This record gives sequence, structure tokens and C-alpha cells, in this order.
Amino acid sequence: MRINPPDAYWKKDVALFFGRRFALLIKMIYPMAIIVPVAASGIPAEYAAAVIGIVAVMAGTFGAGESLTIDLNDGILVRVALTPTSPRRIVFEVLAVNAVLDFVQLLPALVIVYVLHPVSMMWVLAATFAVFATLVTANAIGIFIANFTSSPADVLLYATAILFPLIYISGFFRNRHPEGILAFLRNFVPFAYMNDALKAVFGLAVKAVPVEIFVYPAVICSVLVFAVCMTAPRLLSPRL
Amino acid sequence: MRDVSRIWKAFVERPVALEARGITLRYRSSGRGVEGLSLSVGWGEVFGLVGPNGSGKSTLLRVLSTAVEPDSGTFRVGGTDGLREKRKVRARLGLMVDRPTHYGDLSGWANAYFFARLYGVNEAKAEGALSELFEYFDLAAYRDDRVKTYSYGMGKKLALIEALAHGPDVLLLDEPSLGLDYTSQLALQRKIRDLSASGVAVVIASNQVDEVESLCDRVAFLHEGRLVEEGTPEELISSLQGVRRIVATLRNPVEYGSVESVAGVDQVVPEGQDLVVHCEDRPGIVADVVGGIVRAGGDITDLAVRRPSLEDVFVKLTGETLRDED
Repeated sequence: MRINPPDAYWKKDVALFFGRRFALLIKMIYPMAIIVPVAASGIPAEYAAAVIGIVAVMAGTFGAGESLTIDLNDGILVRVALTPTSPRRIVFEVLAVNAVLDFVQLLPALVIVYVLHPVSMMWVLAATFAVFATLVTANAIGIFIANFTSSPADVLLYATAILFPLIYISGFFRNRHPEGILAFLRNFVPFAYMNDALKAVFGLAVKAVPVEIFVYPAVICSVLVFAVCMTAPRLLSPRL
Repeated sequence: MRDVSRIWKAFVERPVALEARGITLRYRSSGRGVEGLSLSVGWGEVFGLVGPNGSGKSTLLRVLSTAVEPDSGTFRVGGTDGLREKRKVRARLGLMVDRPTHYGDLSGWANAYFFARLYGVNEAKAEGALSELFEYFDLAAYRDDRVKTYSYGMGKKLALIEALAHGPDVLLLDEPSLGLDYTSQLALQRKIRDLSASGVAVVIASNQVDEVESLCDRVAFLHEGRLVEEGTPEELISSLQGVRRIVATLRNPVEYGSVESVAGVDQVVPEGQDLVVHCEDRPGIVADVVGGIVRAGGDITDLAVRRPSLEDVFVKLTGETLRDED
């Protein structure tokens, strides 16, 4: 399969990702630089899981949101949208390729975590899937935000406003044993399932079983992806 | 015989290339836009949209390219509804926007190939069409360079290649020759004539009157979002009997109020070192204009009296020039 010259939107993003070598080096190194020391240190397991979770959430949200707003400002995305390609397909490809590329960045660091903290293969797969589901969710949030602003700086601001409550509900740092409405809401946030899986990887006992980590985030992500793709006509129209 | 009559009937009944009816779009932020615009472009026709900046040319092209929906009005491309069947219409359009952008970290070839494939052109056809167009526009030597190293003119040529590679039925070009060198302008004009001869309808938005005059079969003037006149360049210019254009090249800039007050002068526009005077064709007016310039302190180094152009038609119609608005 030939990536460059690209014949699809996702191939264009892959070609650009691997074409900027210095940026690629930084993107591959920074998750390792944060996650590996945390995994190798003796800090409490819940904090180690939380740090990895935060890296995944931030990488996903800012990645898609910023690159989308830059392309929107540039006018190139509107030009792409004026081809006969379906706008929903373009947005789906933006979301999918960004999530996969973010995942490629995080995977080496995750592998080192699994080497340093051996755990059953089921939990390794569950944690890996949960991280990917988090990246899909975070990218969906980034794309959703790009509907309302064409400024990369605003993406940071809006993302913070959306992510903080979700991180709180997921119980990364506070609210670890939610009750009532908070416990109910936690079921709908894929970050929470990733947090549970990573805690299990670091040796903590968790309520969730691996199959829940596969099923619920998959369902939630499917709904989010569908919803974000429905915003495509608005997202890809000129900002006048 | 029956086949011939069927083909003839299909030809006669073929819908026009582009038909717009009552297009209105007002930007909420500025209140500007276009108001009640209607036009019709036939197959193989080159149609010029002429007007100063802010007259609505680009706005109309935005609507016709399906980038934005109008507040009211409809348009069809080859009989296909531009509001209901956007993707079908997009497949038939070739589009070059006024400020083309590309993926700077990809090569020119990769950019053009990407767009050709998004338009549904298969791999072999895309490579064939692009090779020809890169040669035609003298970009073959730079095809593998990253676009961020391209000059503005090269970027414009790349945008033209992207507009043409999929073989559109209708071409929408916004200021296509702005920023192109002279050779490339001639190549573009030759290409537009070839496309027109092969039946492609071309809409050019421009205020380069020389180009519009030489290329377009029909011209529409836009002013403050409205269509003020439409016709062939010859018809429009011949309506201006009794109008002259005096172009005085000056050594120094002057306050030209005294020229404007000369009897019979419609408009005075400074263009670089030139002072362009649109005026009536009456005996003695050249001497009066020269006198006005000299009284204003102007030192004339060259003087020409030119036949009326489309620009003079616009001045006559609106009292404004094409180039000094905004």
C-alpha cells in the first residue's frame, strides 16, 4: 500500500506525520519521557495510572483539535470539503487517523510499562484497548471543539473546560470512590475504564472485569464517533 | 436517422452549464454580500465576473462552488441542483479560490495527486493528467519539492492544476492570473481557450480588464453585490461612444483635485506613476486635462489617449473604478 503520494485523507495525515522527522522524534520521545520514569518509580499505583491517563487524554484532545483548527484557518480543509468526498467521511478519517497516530506515539511507552509491571495478557489487552478508546474519545472532543472556534489557542481553553470535569468524574486523582450521580456518570466516560485497567496493570484490585473494559468504551466511542461525524457539514464549512 | 434525431434532441434539450437564479447572501458580520443575482453560462462559454474588491465576485463563487448556502435563490450545474445534490455538483466543478492553500510539507505532486484522487480520478488517469499539466504550467522540475518552498505564482499554478486534473465540466476561477508571470498568464489563457473549445464552461472572477476583455465571451459587472450590466465585451464597450481615457505618467505624485474639476472629466484614478482620467470625448479635453495636471504641479513624462475599455464601462455605470475600492 502506497502512502505518498496520498490518495485518501488519512494517508495524507500519515504522510505528513512521518514526513516531519524532527517533530516525529519529539512526538515519539515525549510520552516515553513522562511515562517511563513514572512507571519505573515507586509512586503509588493510582497516581502512576493517573499520569499515563492524563498523557493519553491531552495527546488526543490537543492533537486533533489543534491540527483541525490550523487547517480550517488555512482554508485547506474547506477546499478538501469542496471535492465530492463525503464530509462525514473526511471527519471520520480525521478522527480515526489522529487516534491511531496518537496510539502509535504512546505504544512504545505502554510496552515498557507492561515489561516493568507484568500482568495477565487479558489485562494488557484491556489496558491497551482502553487507552485507544480514550484517544478516540479525546480526539472526538478535540473535533467537537473545532466546531466552535478556529483558534488553536481557544482549543486549549475549551478543552480544559471540558476535560477537567471528565477527569474528575473518572477518578484519576480525586473522587476515587464515587457514589450516587457521580458513580452513574462515571459509567459513561471511557477515561474511567482506562483508569481502572491501568490501575490493574499497576497491581491494584479493581471492581471492573476486562470484558467491561472492552465492551462499554467500544459502545460509548461508537456513539461519540457517530455524533462527531454528524457535525461534519458545519465543521468543514467556511467560517464567515 | 432516428439515432441522429435522438442525439440532436438530447443536444438541444441539454441543460445549460450553469444557471443561477436570485442568489442572495448577506454576511451577518458586515452586511455585505450579493443580492438577487441571476446568470446563465452556456457550454463552452467563458463568462467574466468583473467588479472591484467587495463587489461580491468571490461571494458568488463561494455559493456556486457549494462552499456556502445562499440566504435565498437556487443554482444548477448541468441541470443538477447545487443546493440539494452538492456532491454531484462538486464532482463536475473545477475550482480555484482566490487565495489557494496547500499542504506545505507535501510535494506539489503529492498535493495535486491527493486532490485528483479525492475527485474520484483513478491512479493511472491521475498520473497521466498531472504529468501533462505539470509540463504545461512549467512545474515539472519542481513537482517533488515541498510546496512550502514554492513562490506565490507557483502555488497559483499548482491550484490551477488541481482545478483541472479531474476534467471538470464547469470551471470557477477566482482571480486566476493574479500573481502569475507573463508567460504563465499566456499559458493559462491558451488553456482556457482550449477548454472552452472542448465545451467546458468557464467562469472567471477578475478585475484584470485586459484579460477579461480578451478571454470572455460575456461579462457581468457586479457593484455592491448587485449585477449592474451584462453583455459581450464588444457590446459593452461600444455603448461607450463619446468616452475617452487619458493616461498621464507623472514624475511626481500630485493632488489631482484640479483635474477632477475639468469639465467633462468623470473620474481620476492614480495607478502607480500614472494618473488615469476617464472623461468625455469632446474637442479640447486633452489640452484641458493636461492643463489641470500642470496646474496641480504635475510633471508629465508620458501621455496616452486610449480607446475605452471595460473599466471605462464600469466607471460610466457606477461612477466608481475597479481598483481603488477597499
